[in-house]
Amino acid sequence: MFELFKQKAEAINAEVHYFNSKSEAIDFIKDFIAKNTQVTSTKEVVWHDSPFLDGVDKDSLLKEIPQIEFNIDQNSASSAKIGINEVDYGIAETGSIVEISDSIFKRLCSILPEIHIAILPLNRIEQTLEEVMKKIPISKIPYMTIISGPSRTADIERVLTIGVHGPERLLILAVNNF
Amino acid sequence: MIKEEIKKALQNANLAGALTRFSEAYAVSRRKAYEGLDFEEIRDKIATLKAYVAENLNEIIDTFIKSAKKNGAKVFYTNKPDEIRKYIIELAKKNNVKSIVKSKSMATEEIHLNKYLKEEGIEVNETDLGEWIIQLAGQRPSHMVLPAIHLTRYDVSEVFTKKVEPIEPDISKMVKFARKHLRRKFLAAEMGITGANIAVAETGTLLIFTNEGNARLTMALPKIHVAVVGVEKLVAKFEDIFPIIRALPRSATAQLITSYISFVNKPYTHFDGSQKEFHIILFDNNRSAMAKDPIFKQTFQCIRCASCLNVCPVFRLIGGHVFGKVYTGGIGTILTAWTEGLKASKDIQGLCIQCGNCLKVCPGKIDIPGLILEIRKRLSKEEGLNFKTKAIYSIVNNRKLFHSILKAVSKLQKPFEREGFIRHLPLFLSDLTEDRSLPAISDIPFRDRFKEIKQQKFDKKVIFFAGCLIDFAYPEIGEALVKILNSAGIEVLFPEEQTCCGAPARYSGVMDVAANNAKQNIEALFPYEADYVISACPTCTVALKKQFTKDLQEQNFNEELIKKAEALSKKVKDASELINELIKEEKIKFKSTSPQSFTYHDPCHLIRSLGIYIQPRESLISAGLQLTEMFESDTCCGMGGSYSLKFPEISKTILKRKLENIKKTEVKLVCTDCPGCVMQIRGGVDKEGLSLQVKHSLEILAERLKEG
Repeated sequence: MFELFKQKAEAINAEVHYFNSKSEAIDFIKDFIAKNTQVTSTKEVVWHDSPFLDGVDKDSLLKEIPQIEFNIDQNSASSAKIGINEVDYGIAETGSIVEISDSIFKRLCSILPEIHIAILPLNRIEQTLEEVMKKIPISKIPYMTIISGPSRTADIERVLTIGVHGPERLLILAVNNF
Repeated sequence: MIKEEIKKALQNANLAGALTRFSEAYAVSRRKAYEGLDFEEIRDKIATLKAYVAENLNEIIDTFIKSAKKNGAKVFYTNKPDEIRKYIIELAKKNNVKSIVKSKSMATEEIHLNKYLKEEGIEVNETDLGEWIIQLAGQRPSHMVLPAIHLTRYDVSEVFTKKVEPIEPDISKMVKFARKHLRRKFLAAEMGITGANIAVAETGTLLIFTNEGNARLTMALPKIHVAVVGVEKLVAKFEDIFPIIRALPRSATAQLITSYISFVNKPYTHFDGSQKEFHIILFDNNRSAMAKDPIFKQTFQCIRCASCLNVCPVFRLIGGHVFGKVYTGGIGTILTAWTEGLKASKDIQGLCIQCGNCLKVCPGKIDIPGLILEIRKRLSKEEGLNFKTKAIYSIVNNRKLFHSILKAVSKLQKPFEREGFIRHLPLFLSDLTEDRSLPAISDIPFRDRFKEIKQQKFDKKVIFFAGCLIDFAYPEIGEALVKILNSAGIEVLFPEEQTCCGAPARYSGVMDVAANNAKQNIEALFPYEADYVISACPTCTVALKKQFTKDLQEQNFNEELIKKAEALSKKVKDASELINELIKEEKIKFKSTSPQSFTYHDPCHLIRSLGIYIQPRESLISAGLQLTEMFESDTCCGMGGSYSLKFPEISKTILKRKLENIKKTEVKLVCTDCPGCVMQIRGGVDKEGLSLQVKHSLEILAERLKEG
C-alpha cells in the first residue's frame, strides 16, 4: 500500500520519505531545516504541535534549531518558509493526504509557507478515498482538505507551473511506529 | 453583431491556436485520466443523483439549510440577484470591510457582483491566476476552466507591467510575481468570497476544488467567509460526492485529482481569537424554474467541468468571447437561456452545429445538442422566425413546388457551373462558395433516373429513401445503391411522393414544418410493402428512425399517423448497416482488384446518433481496400446541414482542419457515408485543387462488385 501511495504521490510532484521511527524522522527534519534555512535568521519554520511531538523535548530541539517556531500566528506563518504539521490520513490510489483541522493554526502550516512538511503515520494510509472517508466523522469536524501534491497552475499558455498560492514543495514523511 | 464577433475570433490566430492545441491534447489526456475506470458507470451515477436533486429540489434546499445552520453557518436563500448584492454589501459595511479576495465563483459573475462592490468603494481582487490576469486586463474569461487561454506570456507580461509593476515574459517568474502580489491582498482582506463545487444537503458541507490553493487562503485568512452557491451544486447524501470527485478533475483538466479539495463544515475560532463568520448564500436565479421544466431539468446534472467546450469543434475555433456571456459553449448557451432569459440565447444558440461530440464526454449525461434544439424550438415558437426563413421552409413543405424549383435551378446555375461544381456565386451568396465549391444540381435527378433502371423482380424488397442531396445533387449514389442491392437479390422500390426529411427545419427549431415533412413522407412510404426502409444519408436515417414519430406526437397529429410512423421506423436501416450484413452473409461479393488505400470520415449522425462506425470500414476492407485512419476521423466536417449556410466562416474553418487531417494520411481516397459530408469535403478538395477523390462508400463498393 505504501509503495502505491509513494508512486502516486510522486507522480503529482510530492516528495515521499519513509522512516522506521520517530527519531529518524526528526533527524531528517533537523537536517532539512539546516539545509533550507539560514541558521542566523529568525523563525523560518512553523511547527504545529501534535501527537508526533509527544515525548519530544521541544526546548532542546529549539536550542538546536532556533529557526523553529511552535507559537503559530498569522505573522509567524506568513513569514515562515517551512510549515510542519501532522496530517491524518493517506490515500494510496491518488497519493493524497488528508488534513483535518479543528485548529486554524494547523491549516496555516500547509497554506502559507513555501514548503509544507506533512508527517503521516504510516498506518493511516488507506487504499481509496471511500475507505478514508468511512473513518472520518464528517459532521463533527469543522474543516478538512485532501491535499494532492504541491500547488500548481497552467493558467499561462497551459504551461504547468508548480507553486502558486500554496506550497511549491510538499514533503510527506511517512513514519512507522509512533 | 455575432457575425462580427465570429470574424474577430477566427482572425485571432493565438486564440484558435491555443484552444485547438488544448482540445487535441485534452482528448488524449482525458482518455488516459479515465483509464481503469468505467466512465459510463460513473456518469450514470452522477446523472441519477443529480436528477434526483432536480426532482426534489425544494426538499433538498430545506435539508441543506437546516444542516448548515446546525453547523453554525448563516444561510441566506434567494431567487433575486439584487438581494444577494444587498446582503453582501450590507455585511461588508457592517464589518467595515475595505478589501475582498475572491476565489472563482461563477455565480457572483452571473450577478456582476464585482462591479457593485467597486461602486461601494470596496476593493475586490480575483485570486485565481487566470482570473486575476483577466481582471487586470479588463477582459472576460474566454473559457470556463482556462479563463486566460487566449493570452500569450507576452500579453500577460504586458498586462502585469502596465497594471502592477514591470515583469519579464517568463512564465515561472510571472507565477511567483502573482504569488507575491496576491499574498499581500490575501493578508489584508477582511472578507473572502468563494463559490463551491458541491454542497451536501445531508451534512451541510461545501466542497471546493482548486489547484492553486487560492480558495484555501480565501477561506482561511479573512475573518468573514461568504460562499455563493448555485442550488444546482446540491447533492442529497454525503456519499454522492464520490462519483463527482472522480469525474470533475478528470473531465475538467484531465487530472486524477486536483491539488486541493476543501471540505467546509463549520466556522471555528479565527486566529485573532474571535469567532469566524461563515455565510452561505444559496443562489437560485431561475434555477428552480429550470428544475421544474420537464426537458431542461437535466441541466442540473452539470458539474461545470467544461468538457463540452473542450471537445466542441466550433468552440475551439471561436472561444468564449463570441458568446458575450458569463457561461460559454454548449452548456453555457443553455445556462444563459435560463439565467438571463431565453432571448439572451437567441444569437448564440445558432453556434451549435449539432455534431453530438459533447454528448459522449458529458459526465452528467446531459443531451446538450438536444437541449439547444429545444431552445431553438421555443425561440421559433415565441418569437416567430423571420419571414424570409419561414418562407423558405414552407416551400419545402410543398413538394411539387420545391422539386420544380430545384429542377429550375439546375438550368439557372449553368453560367456558374463547371465539371459538376458551382465555384462562384454572385453577390451576397459569394460567402458560400468562397472556400468550398458547391455541387451543381443534377440535370436529371435520381427520381427520373430511377425509372430508367431495369431491375429484376425479387421477393426481397427495400424502400429507398433518397433525401434531397442524393435525389438532386448526387443521383449516382442512389444508382450505386440499386446496383449493390440488386446484386444481392433485392429489389429497390422508390416511392415518388417522398420529399425532404425535414432536417433543415427540424434543426432550426421550426417544428410544424418538420412534422409536415414527416407526415408527407409517411404517407408516401407506408403503402409500399418491403422488408426495410433504406437511406444512404444518415441524417435522413435518423429522421425516419427516431424523429418522425416524436415530431408528430409533439405537433399533436392523429394516433393513426403516429402508429404508421412507429411501424415504419422499425424497418429503417442505414444503407451502410444493411450492406455490411449482406456482405457478411456473402450475398454481396467483390471482384479481386489491385489494393487501394483509403481514409474514412465518420459522419456525425452515423457514428453518434446511430452508433455505426465499424460496419462501413469493414465493408470497404472486404472490397479489397486498405484503411489508413486520419486524426479525429469522427470530428465534424463543418457541414451541419444548413449550418454551413448560416455560419459559412466557421464551417469553412472546420473544413480546413478536416482537409489538413486528410492530407496528413497521404491517401488519395476519402470515403464516407453521408452525401452532406461528401458535398462539404469534395467542395473543399475542389477549391484547394487537391488530387483527392471523395466518395460515398456506396460508389466505391458498387465499382468493385463481382459481376454476374
